[in-house]
Amino acid sequence: MRPSDALFRVTVTAFAAMIPLVLLALFAFLLHDSWPALRFNGFDFFTHSSWNLGNQYGNPVAVRGEQVMPGASFAILFLIVGTLASSLIALLLAVPLGVGAAVFLAEAVPPRIRTYASLLVELLASVPSVVFGLWGYIVLIPFLSRHVYPHMAHWLRDVPFFGPPSGSGYGLLTAGIVLSLMCVPLIAANLREAIESTPQALREAGLAVGATRFEVVRKIILPRLRLPLIGVSTLALGRALGETMAVLMISGNALNILPENIYSPISTMASFMVSQLDSALQDPTNMAIYGIAEIGLALLLLSLLVNALARLLVPRSLST
Amino acid sequence: MTQRSQHARRRAPRLALLAAAGLLAVGSATAATLTLNETGSSLLYPLFNLWVPAYTKANPEVQINTASTGSGTGIAQSIEGLVQFGASDAYLSDAQMKKNPEMLNIPVAISSQMVNYNVPGLNNVHLKLSGAVLASMYDGRLRYWDAPALKQLNPGVALPHHLIVTVHRTDGSGDTFMFSQFLSFTDKTWEQKVGYGTSVNWPAVQGAIGANGNPGMVSAVRSTPYSVAYIGVSFQNQTQKDGLGEAMLQNRAGNFVMINEKTVPAAAAAMVPKTPKDERISMIYAPGAESYPIINYEYVMVKATQPNAATAAQIRKFLSWAVSTEGGNSLMFLKQVNFLPLPASARALTLQQINQIH
Repeated sequence: MRPSDALFRVTVTAFAAMIPLVLLALFAFLLHDSWPALRFNGFDFFTHSSWNLGNQYGNPVAVRGEQVMPGASFAILFLIVGTLASSLIALLLAVPLGVGAAVFLAEAVPPRIRTYASLLVELLASVPSVVFGLWGYIVLIPFLSRHVYPHMAHWLRDVPFFGPPSGSGYGLLTAGIVLSLMCVPLIAANLREAIESTPQALREAGLAVGATRFEVVRKIILPRLRLPLIGVSTLALGRALGETMAVLMISGNALNILPENIYSPISTMASFMVSQLDSALQDPTNMAIYGIAEIGLALLLLSLLVNALARLLVPRSLST
Repeated sequence: MTQRSQHARRRAPRLALLAAAGLLAVGSATAATLTLNETGSSLLYPLFNLWVPAYTKANPEVQINTASTGSGTGIAQSIEGLVQFGASDAYLSDAQMKKNPEMLNIPVAISSQMVNYNVPGLNNVHLKLSGAVLASMYDGRLRYWDAPALKQLNPGVALPHHLIVTVHRTDGSGDTFMFSQFLSFTDKTWEQKVGYGTSVNWPAVQGAIGANGNPGMVSAVRSTPYSVAYIGVSFQNQTQKDGLGEAMLQNRAGNFVMINEKTVPAAAAAMVPKTPKDERISMIYAPGAESYPIINYEYVMVKATQPNAATAAQIRKFLSWAVSTEGGNSLMFLKQVNFLPLPASARALTLQQINQIH
């Protein structure tokens, strides 16, 4: 190997190594900063619902070798449930819409308009999430709480989790709807590419044996979408799990309580970290900050898990 | 605590550093002027927004940036030294003072807090509420607007059979401090189970909503029928404009009172003489037949030791102006946000504290 080649290899390797190193550093930082909380909270952190800074005007006490304010306890089951439930609702709503939009863009729109229509969908994907949140806060919540949820709760009163009370509009379903709108463009854009990569010969073969266009879509194209769909759905799930500002504005920020139905206020891990940061900064023992770092650690691991799954499931051509 | 663990603990608030780095970037525009930054209480923010333009017009050598975040942020960032003024409706706890002995709790005005509600048809009635009933509403013992305890306080009022939606602050807030202290002083169950603080362990009640800042509280109550919330008096113009109900609260003497030119000064008159030298005192649930039960000092948190003499001098100058009756404590400013000026004896203590800034 020539010296210049060796130099090139070292340089490129160094740059390439930076990305996993950043991830590793992030993990190490969160682990370090949440260590006292990990020791104080134990496994209860994941199995109970109790986020309590303790009496901030009392004097610190030592519990399990850590300094905390009297009465403090940190457990985030309600956040884990809120995060997973809102993301799953988002996915349930976004997948059919996303598939429909992708099929429409790839098959039904005249080629002349297709470029522009696709561009629009991709533009939607780049709208900052806080804008979705603001829209949800100003438009969606008053509309849903007055004109949709009360009727929904009435008609579905015998269905578990869908019956009354229909709540105030802030909550699980609203969060799910807004999150789904953020996921649809992601799903639609990726699936459209997958549909367009269907070999022309397959379509022609289908049409040649007398299938209608709809039958071609249903019997030839859709079955081929199964894998890419699983992949992009997982990516969308990753986005929904980590969404912060939009959820903060519309979720109702429930504290220490599991939702009783689909209209109940919730909190998610990401939004809770933002909303509680400045309260936590006042804890003279810093345990609340360590607790927030522990939420961050849990969220990082959850997102890594989801994205790793997506990488495994998405065909290589789509995962980039 | 050992030296080493103290060191480890000091490193934790780096999250705050990151969060506030943006603030620092503001205002280094002109070299000739000195820039001071204020952040914190959304209850004090409207007052600062009246003060700053008037003050900087007369004192062009200083530029002051203001931000409405929450008392929690105000306290944290003034301790970190990221801002010179941390606005807070709550004084620092003993534990916080022990950890940050250089912090001064400087009262600049007297404020009060409303309990607002949105019960269609009853927003003009001024429902009567007591601390104990509010505690029961917020911890779920009392779920409906027509519960017997509410009916008893409001004979003859057609209360609807509708779930109560309680609204509380999600951010660290001096308003939460005042409100939870009122509930603690009036209700034993609340005192034992929840207590008070700038953020408390809100009891798990189905349907309860968390909102951000006083503006968030106003908009949550406006958009949510059958809700109830606690809102700082500097937002009274807005709650009235939005047609929200304002409750009469039961004071220590058992009378139902609303915020006005008599009830707030009456409560202040009862509590100001008890103010200690460092001015950290609760004025909640003051004695007296006319006293309004939720009033407090509005604090500006300042570090006694500033990085240089010029900054310290400008901070002293601004704060002295802010509490003088010809300056920031004149009714021209305070009337607009429904605050009261500091009584003379409190002003003397405040000026002593301001003079400690160096």
